[in-house]
Amino acid sequence: MLETENLTYWYTNQADYLFQGEHLQFEPGHSYAIVGQSGSGKTTMVSLLAGLDTPKAGTIRIDGQDIAQIGLAHYRRRKVSVVFQAFNLFTYMSALENLMTAMAITKAAHAGDQAFAQAMLQRLGLTDEQMRQNVQRLSGGQQQRVAIARTMVCDAPLVVADEPTGNLDEANTDEVIALFNQIAHEQGKCVIIVTHEPSVAAQCDGVLRLAHRTFTWEKTPAPQLAKKG
Amino acid sequence: MNFMKRAWLNLIAKKGRSLLLILVTGAIMLFVMAGLLIKSAASQAVASAKNSVGATITLTANRQAAFKKMRSSNASSGQPGKRPSLSLDPVKLSTVKQIARLKNVAGYTTTVSAAANAKSFEAISTSSSAQGPAGPGGASSGDITISGVSSTSGSTSFAAGKAKITKGRGLKTSDRGTNNVVIESELATQNSLKVGDTITVKATSGTKKTHSLKIVGIYQAASTAAASMGPGASDPANTIFTSDTLANTLKGSKYKDTADSVVFTVSAPSKVAAVKKQAAKLISSKYSLSLDDQNYQMVKSSMGSVTSFADKVVWLVAIAGTIILALIVILMIRERRYEIGILMAMGESRFKIIAQFFVELFAVLLVGVGIATAGGSYVGGKLADQVVASAATNTSQTAGQVLGSKTGGPAGQAPSGGGPSGQMPGAADAARATQAKQQAKLTVKVTAKAVAILFGLGLAIILLAILAAAAGILRLQPKLILIQ
Ligand SMILES: Nc1ncnc2c1ncn2[C@@H]1O[C@H](COP(=O)(O)OP(=O)(O)OP(=O)(O)O)[C@@H](O)[C@H]1O
Ligand SMILES: [Mg+2]
Repeated sequence: MLETENLTYWYTNQADYLFQGEHLQFEPGHSYAIVGQSGSGKTTMVSLLAGLDTPKAGTIRIDGQDIAQIGLAHYRRRKVSVVFQAFNLFTYMSALENLMTAMAITKAAHAGDQAFAQAMLQRLGLTDEQMRQNVQRLSGGQQQRVAIARTMVCDAPLVVADEPTGNLDEANTDEVIALFNQIAHEQGKCVIIVTHEPSVAAQCDGVLRLAHRTFTWEKTPAPQLAKKG
Repeated sequence: MNFMKRAWLNLIAKKGRSLLLILVTGAIMLFVMAGLLIKSAASQAVASAKNSVGATITLTANRQAAFKKMRSSNASSGQPGKRPSLSLDPVKLSTVKQIARLKNVAGYTTTVSAAANAKSFEAISTSSSAQGPAGPGGASSGDITISGVSSTSGSTSFAAGKAKITKGRGLKTSDRGTNNVVIESELATQNSLKVGDTITVKATSGTKKTHSLKIVGIYQAASTAAASMGPGASDPANTIFTSDTLANTLKGSKYKDTADSVVFTVSAPSKVAAVKKQAAKLISSKYSLSLDDQNYQMVKSSMGSVTSFADKVVWLVAIAGTIILALIVILMIRERRYEIGILMAMGESRFKIIAQFFVELFAVLLVGVGIATAGGSYVGGKLADQVVASAATNTSQTAGQVLGSKTGGPAGQAPSGGGPSGQMPGAADAARATQAKQQAKLTVKVTAKAVAILFGLGLAIILLAILAAAAGILRLQPKLILIQ
């Protein structure tokens, strides 16, 4: 459903490109890990995939459509949902308000449905009290779960996460990755996670390594895992 | 309308910051408002001063011409030992009637000053009048000042509020030809006189006959009048108001159908200059016409400095306030960089991101202008009192100098031939300055126009500041906003 064609990127103040002419393909119903050394260009890659930046050359297509043609703002609103290591949430809102706001902005099918958002937060382990207080009073793991719940209540078929477990301990990391796998396997979305933790990569269906300015598949998802939707 | 909801959530979640913003905005708006209000109050004061004092013309003997004549006759007679005597021709009522027939002249009041000695009663003697010499210039003087007027209400003292009727009634034009008089309350109390009583006085000039006068009213003189008396002057309580005809009779037969001064009322202040020009054609050089616009000039000049102060306040506060408010808005938006990044990552439109900030600051501005509206009158009033006090002190000093050097003010109190010593010109000017000061008191009131100006100004500031601050962030790729 998501494919890159001839994707090339470099920072103008740097001598060399980060990657060049990449042809990659991601399918719905799978979780993918992008691994590689620090500074290799993982964050840059997922920023392009999430429509947060524009490639220097090449195209990104979702369901066959060039995202530049759809319009990046529209692409971000309707097609992709992002989770970062930090600064994911509106700090002046509660968890519930964060979800309601995201649904309203992305015009999700459940926009305005507070019970739906509440149920999702509950499913992710937040108590009624926790979801109604300011998000800054939640722990790092809880905040990350709120960000994941947000991608789950929105309709975007693509979920991109950049080191979502970077600030979490082992137990929380496993829980969060399990949630991402749920999104891929139960909601049938395409989940792409940047990580430097081998244990996280091991739990994903596919693993893509960026080394020597080239992406190579270390593991491709088994076709039978895919739930066509 | 999700941005409205976000704006609201932000304002209430960050109460401390919102409150601070409101206070800063409110303070800036308050001072701009105060400046605007003082400015409009000052121009209103000038306008009302123009309307209230500008509509009269005073006809008197031309003192300058008389002085000139006196000096030349002294020189020709060659008798330096002889005391110079100033002879002022009284205004003829026939001339007055001619002027009264001019277009736009609404009416006139005449003033005749005379002197007499109390006969059936005791005049009030003050230490200054007891010790002082008889009137200056060898003019015949008595212990009673007779002020002959065509009507008390139209006379300078009553019109200026320096005297008011407390018992009985004032004199009207129908009292002309009668012996009806109005006496001061102190004089009445000391002599146990009341309305309806008859008193007698002896003329000090002319026939020196005894006249009996009928009291129809009692007036009270403002206490400040005593302070403005020069040494040797009669106590103000000894002034008896009579009809101008009676005063003329006391002065002597040659003063029949004359007046010392006549004040013409003109229908509108704007017509005064034209009427004066026409009236000047009807009189000889022995008389002079003057406009009683000194109050207006004084209010105008003191308000001029108030207006320029208010202008400075408005500009200073507006400029400083704009800079402060803009900087605060810019800082606030820069601090919300990540929030903008999250919104952009969700695909929110730039317009709605700006709209959210605008709604937030609009609400702050609304409360700020509310504070300014509520406190504007108070702060503006306090500030105006200070400014007016200093402005009036300055102008009354300079005005006093200007007026003091000018001979022959238009007021009827100036001593005239055969009249009593009267008030010193300097004292009259001081009284005038006080009067101008009172008139210069500003009434500072919040107007819808001032609120609208304030609101427009605030709106322009926040809109420009938001655009300036947000433009720097919104033109970036969301990646750069979020990942740095
Ligand atoms: N805005 C930028 N301008 C210039 N160079 C940049 C910019 N952002 C990143 N880089 C450089 O591009 C390279 C790739 O950065 P990127 O953040 O994509 O790496 P990464 O693989 O995500 O690293 P990490 O694992 O440490 O997060 C780095 O060398 C970095 O210094
Ligand atoms: Mg990175």
